[in-house]
Amino acid sequence: MANGRLRVDWPVCRARGLCFELLPEAIELDEWGYPVVTGEITPELTGAARAAVRGCPRMALRLVQT
Amino acid sequence: MSTDTLRTAEVTVVRGPRLLSAIGGGPSLAAHRALHGSPGRTRLATLLADLERIDLRGRGGAGFPFARKLASTAQARGRATVVVNVSEGEPPSSKDAALATTAPHLILDGAMIAAEALKTRRIHLVVPDNERAVRDAMATAVAERAGERVSWAVHRADDVFVAGQASAVVELMSGRPNRPVTTWQPAAVRGYQGRPTLLSNAETYAQLALLTLHGPDAYVAHGTAAEPGTTLLTVHDGGGRRVVEVELASPWYDVLALEDLGRPVLLGGYHGTWAAAGELRALTVSRVGLAAAGLTLGAGVVLVPDCCPLTFASAVASYLAGESAGRCGPCFNGLPALAAALERVVAGRGGIAEAERLCALVERRGACAHPDGTARMVRSALERFPDEVDRHARGGCSYPRDGRGG
Repeated sequence: MANGRLRVDWPVCRARGLCFELLPEAIELDEWGYPVVTGEITPELTGAARAAVRGCPRMALRLVQT
Repeated sequence: MSTDTLRTAEVTVVRGPRLLSAIGGGPSLAAHRALHGSPGRTRLATLLADLERIDLRGRGGAGFPFARKLASTAQARGRATVVVNVSEGEPPSSKDAALATTAPHLILDGAMIAAEALKTRRIHLVVPDNERAVRDAMATAVAERAGERVSWAVHRADDVFVAGQASAVVELMSGRPNRPVTTWQPAAVRGYQGRPTLLSNAETYAQLALLTLHGPDAYVAHGTAAEPGTTLLTVHDGGGRRVVEVELASPWYDVLALEDLGRPVLLGGYHGTWAAAGELRALTVSRVGLAAAGLTLGAGVVLVPDCCPLTFASAVASYLAGESAGRCGPCFNGLPALAAALERVVAGRGGIAEAERLCALVERRGACAHPDGTARMVRSALERFPDEVDRHARGGCSYPRDGRGG
């Protein structure tokens, strides 16, 4: 399975930070609390990435194929 | 009025070989037809082959091949829409305004040629709300074409920097605020009403018209084999603001005075890159040659500031921070922080590390390219003027005119 990539719908994101709590392996937060995607989503991380996508209260995160 | 230049209160338009050849004849449809004739029937395959031969590029920072954009639009599912952006959100750019007021029918011919190739009759024009001369010129030109079997829709773009970003234009057309949103596919595939949308700026459509009206051989008679044709530039120097049309690969001393070639120049506008003093002497108006030197032509703004380039870059960064649409967190938080970091560099109260860190932090983290463009301009200033950064760090400045003392 190929690696996936997380994309943020920036105008929708309100820095709630749940994505970081659910997926610290691939997401950090900047000084204002907005996500910094730090890497691609490997097959091992896909389950956690999907949980982060579902967990965003703003529905501002998407997992796309690279 | 001289026949070689057209002056308005703000901008001088200089007669050029192709796009700006109509100055003096007036902008009417009759004058346009007398000069250029009428386009024949257009087949998509022929048009794509001709476009690849002349290597027509869009005027965004990336210089995207227009042939590829047209092919993507043609291949995507659904009836296509043609969108002509005649609105320049960038205050120092006047090239599309110059085209609209001197040769509006070149723009409209290009749009009709694209529409015919895409088998659509719907063309949208986006005009600047704050420039009445441009709005009136396009409205008059559209009215002259009342008999043609095309429906024209005209939209007024807001007077803000990011209003011209592709997704912001599609939002405007859809009746929503004229601001960028996240797109998951290019407009060519999924744009206005979810349908394939060919969206380019006025100059690109005018070039398409010239290609069809006069043929590819006439197009490649200007420029070089590698980069044929001409391009529009808006030049700001001691002589004020002027729009010129130059052949691609022209030396920069055809565009700027020798004295100005010895000064720092901001190329490509507020999202552009800085050429160090004297750097342009050995370069040409070539997308490829400039890219090799780490420079970009962007939408063709050439600005020679009358003050310290670092101070000017800082002022531009502050302006750009204020032009954030305020929608994307990394942009509305990051750009003011970046502008403040650059102000501290200029005031000798901070190093460049924080500004560089913030550049990296905002890049690729927005719905549009505004943070990326801002970071590009700031990075370029820090990279091109290390001596000036040092002088400011010691409380000095080599440009006495901005009042800092030499």
